[in-house]
Amino acid sequence: MRRILLCLSITLVLAVPGVAQDPPAGTQPDVTITLADGNARQLRLAVPDAGLDNTASASLRVAAGDFDQTLRDDLDFAGPFRVQGPDELGVLTLTGNQGHDFEQYRSLGNDIVVLGRIFEEGDRFVLEGYVYDLPSGQSVFGKRYRGSMDQARRIAHTFADAIVEALTGEPGIALSALAFHSDRDGFQELYLMDYDGRNQRRITGHKSTSGFPNWSGTSDAIAYVSYFTEQPGVYYVKLPGGEKVPIHTSGNLNISPSISSDGQWVAFGHADAVNTDIFVCQREACSAPQQITKASGIDTNPAWSPDGSQIAFTSDRSGRPNVYVMERDGSNVRRISFDGNYNDGAAWHPEGTLIAYASRRGNRFQITVTDAVTLETRTLTSGPHSYEEPTWSPNGRYLAFSEKRGRSSQIWVIDSDGGAPRQLTFEGNNAAPDWSAGAL
Amino acid sequence: MSIDRKWIALALTLMLALAIGCKKDAPQVAPPPAVEPTTTDTTERVEAAPAPGPSTDTQQPQRPATLQLWEQELRRQGLIGDVFYAFDRYDLSAESKQRLAKNAEFLNSSEGQGVMVTIEGHCDERGTNEYNLALGQRRGQAALDYLASLGVDSSRFKTVSYGEERPFCTQSDEACWAQNRRAAFVITAAPGY
Repeated sequence: MRRILLCLSITLVLAVPGVAQDPPAGTQPDVTITLADGNARQLRLAVPDAGLDNTASASLRVAAGDFDQTLRDDLDFAGPFRVQGPDELGVLTLTGNQGHDFEQYRSLGNDIVVLGRIFEEGDRFVLEGYVYDLPSGQSVFGKRYRGSMDQARRIAHTFADAIVEALTGEPGIALSALAFHSDRDGFQELYLMDYDGRNQRRITGHKSTSGFPNWSGTSDAIAYVSYFTEQPGVYYVKLPGGEKVPIHTSGNLNISPSISSDGQWVAFGHADAVNTDIFVCQREACSAPQQITKASGIDTNPAWSPDGSQIAFTSDRSGRPNVYVMERDGSNVRRISFDGNYNDGAAWHPEGTLIAYASRRGNRFQITVTDAVTLETRTLTSGPHSYEEPTWSPNGRYLAFSEKRGRSSQIWVIDSDGGAPRQLTFEGNNAAPDWSAGAL
Repeated sequence: MSIDRKWIALALTLMLALAIGCKKDAPQVAPPPAVEPTTTDTTERVEAAPAPGPSTDTQQPQRPATLQLWEQELRRQGLIGDVFYAFDRYDLSAESKQRLAKNAEFLNSSEGQGVMVTIEGHCDERGTNEYNLALGQRRGQAALDYLASLGVDSSRFKTVSYGEERPFCTQSDEACWAQNRRAAFVITAAPGY
């Protein structure tokens, strides 16, 4: 079954040169190999360094090294693969004869080999990437990528995502990005980083206190809070240009904006006097936002469900901060957090009914996930510090969050089962990560 | 590529694929990369990655240095003292009410005439940052409401909550946390400044 579908896929890629980035609708999902969860064996990928001519320039060699490492890291991080690089493949005797070499890759248990050829075209970095199914010797796909010399990592991300999609049917996340805030340049400002923590760059310069970013599901806007008028207002950064656009700035307090998946709506916490409530408006027309919570306590920190029909939020109506879910018009409010004595920071899983949040156990917050329907709850972290502000990767396989140690704070990422922690930030204090829904 | 050639290519490729690629017993020895890789120029996507210009953003205005100095002096004299709160609370203790009564006295005095104040609500670091923004709002507003009840014109005040974003004290111990759970008085305008 699988082989036949792969053949179909190859055919279509071959037949439509120049339009290969988006294979015709309907073909791609057929290639799906279910490997992700449960006891399914990980697909094994041999990923030797991409080939370079002897005449390659020094700068191309550096870029190629960056490319090779990034590609392997991406495929490794993607989850359903076990990747063998030059260290493991070094024991093989490769001759350049493809049939012989493929047998060699297979002898180490590999299912797939990813081959590349890198060369320069003018001052451009060009990759020809090939993916082969080793048992059959058939090409899964071949593509050519070109970009400026300093974009080798981005080309690797693009190729990695294409491989993930071709082999699993699931979009890759290597081109996704995290927004966060940091004080590394003196003031608290907004920053972006690639999903692997690389390429961290500042995107606001208000020289005030700015932060709490939230991506539009359409990846063309990041809502945030800034105090540059001295009262906290909610704004958004328009991408790619970076223009800053006010959403709502009047009243005493405008905080914790959340943009809906379709990019059209914003929910945020707002107070004219003592009490903070949740208001909803259109992103581009927010002069008269609609108040959707009316309880006497604090209602704040809203988060849209992926389908836009519900909003999770934090309320102290029970006496302590807890996470609740309501319909988008404010009706049908139900509490979903029952463990811990302080719960905040709801983040919806990109597809399902799972909601991650920070739950205080004793003096520390732990990342906890509750199914909003069944209320089944799992605590993912158990470390000695405080873990807050969770956000899901676009495929729901990972969570990023901030780890607080007293006043210092850094951003980490873990598998959605709580394993494999990796630190993404190191410079200054960094917090409030929010993972984009798609490629940036 | 013309449409005709594209269709011919499609037909040929389909035939090729059916003839070779999908045969039940495809040869184990792979053909050389006969596939001329399809062209995908990522240049445009690479260069479209956001490179926003933060330097053009609107920046927070600074208060005049002379006003800040005068405010420091008033604070030293205990005329605009801070008010402190219990953990996770925003109600005013008897001590806080005394403090606010003193502040009201100054604001209603001849020296305090025309002074405009922002009351900042602050929190310690132990809660979550986002919830603390709402808690700090309650703290600042509780102080404002009490001042208004003492007869100070509430239009002279604004409140702003900083949550735990702008702490006064940066140690992680109770002595420091207690200092950070406060409403602070900041003079934004005064006659002569």
